[in-house]
Amino acid sequence: MSANIFDRRRVNGPPRSVEPLYTDEGDVKPFTNGGRADGRSLDQLRPIFIKTGPLAVQPTFSPTAPSGSAYYEQGKIRISCAVYGPRQGRKSNPRMGSFDCDFQYAPFSCSWKRRPHIKGADEKEIALILEQAMAPAIRLEAYPKACIDAFVTVIESDGKFATISAAINCISAALADAGIELYDIVAACSMSLNASQWVSDCNQAEEDVSQCSLFVSRMPSADEITYLLQQGKTMPDQTDRAVQTCSNSCARVYAVLSRYLQASMEQPAS
Amino acid sequence: MSSESVIVTPGRRLGLTQEYESGPGTYVRNGMIYSSILGTKKIEQALAETSDDSIKRPMLFVERQNTKFAIPVIGSEILGRVVRINPRAASVAIMMVDSAPCQEDFQGIVRVQDIRATEKDLVQMINSFRPGDIIRAEVISLGDQRSYFLATTKNEHGVVFAQSEAGNSMIPISWEEMQDPKTQTIEKRKCAKPVT
Repeated sequence: MSANIFDRRRVNGPPRSVEPLYTDEGDVKPFTNGGRADGRSLDQLRPIFIKTGPLAVQPTFSPTAPSGSAYYEQGKIRISCAVYGPRQGRKSNPRMGSFDCDFQYAPFSCSWKRRPHIKGADEKEIALILEQAMAPAIRLEAYPKACIDAFVTVIESDGKFATISAAINCISAALADAGIELYDIVAACSMSLNASQWVSDCNQAEEDVSQCSLFVSRMPSADEITYLLQQGKTMPDQTDRAVQTCSNSCARVYAVLSRYLQASMEQPAS
Repeated sequence: MSSESVIVTPGRRLGLTQEYESGPGTYVRNGMIYSSILGTKKIEQALAETSDDSIKRPMLFVERQNTKFAIPVIGSEILGRVVRINPRAASVAIMMVDSAPCQEDFQGIVRVQDIRATEKDLVQMINSFRPGDIIRAEVISLGDQRSYFLATTKNEHGVVFAQSEAGNSMIPISWEEMQDPKTQTIEKRKCAKPVT
């Protein structure tokens, strides 16, 4: 790399580089000896980490500063979300505000293939799912003519359905951080069917071998499901069972979210 | 009023509508008051003097310390900068709503017929506002697709800060004139009555 062909348009790497550390996961087949590869029980979720306000900028009222942001981890899934608004949008409805969502995988987020920078059809579809899952929870009538935007970036993905539900939880935390008026915090959880057994919060390897995947997003205080998506074939009673189990898991995620949010408000005061 | 501060998350049940009035940061569903923002639960006792025939209930509200993002609604008082003018309307970048700053400017317009309350037909835009003026105005309508409609018909509304052509900030000398203290030139504006 000589100095005269220095590429100014892109972020250049440092002059010296070190080989990354690879985790040796090998080719562990999921569900080989009856249990899960990571030793979880069938309805156990991966541990969750949340932090609100990682993208906060000083001063708070600069136009580039998001009004709220959140970082979310669930096992290997890492997602960040920034919420802007309420602000003036291009489309305006005098009675209600509008909520827009943007979803993007980072180019390196899926370990099995490199993602292009340009948004694909699946990312646009997931953005729409997120929009529809979150919009019922936002008190849009409190923001006439205004627009609320959420920008979700997946830093690392592990299981499509698990990533979508993690994104929903992340947006919830970011909206609460932004002080947007909400009916409730939306919590989501995913499940996959493997050998007629429902397995909670599957990673990519587990989702790949499953016949059916499903996720539920829920507002627990109103006991309302905001979104339900199933991919694959099941019997009706199997889906019933899954929705029931997912709802219970959502309550657990909700508890984690609200406990964290409460603690985040307590911290600056003390 | 409450002795200990309780931090609540959106969707937390706070009380019954029979016992409390629902205040900012809360909403009502099925006779229950729920929190709608992340913040501290507060109860404000109703003033004893407001002697309506109905019994006043204490107000339950959720307060958030750091940030409140204002959006204009009908009736709110705004501060904004005149961006450009034409003979029919002045477009304004709304910077503050009531006393809360906006994170990003909202767009508003003052139509020529909304500048003052009387002799509307004689109002001329050029004698009322100039680009760069800071004005106080009221939101009269959520307006069209693009902008909020503003009015400066009240005495307290109009130009609060303006610079002369020489670039000095001017002093209002009447409700429709401002004077540059250095060059003594007089320019016409729809001045706001100073609020004490």
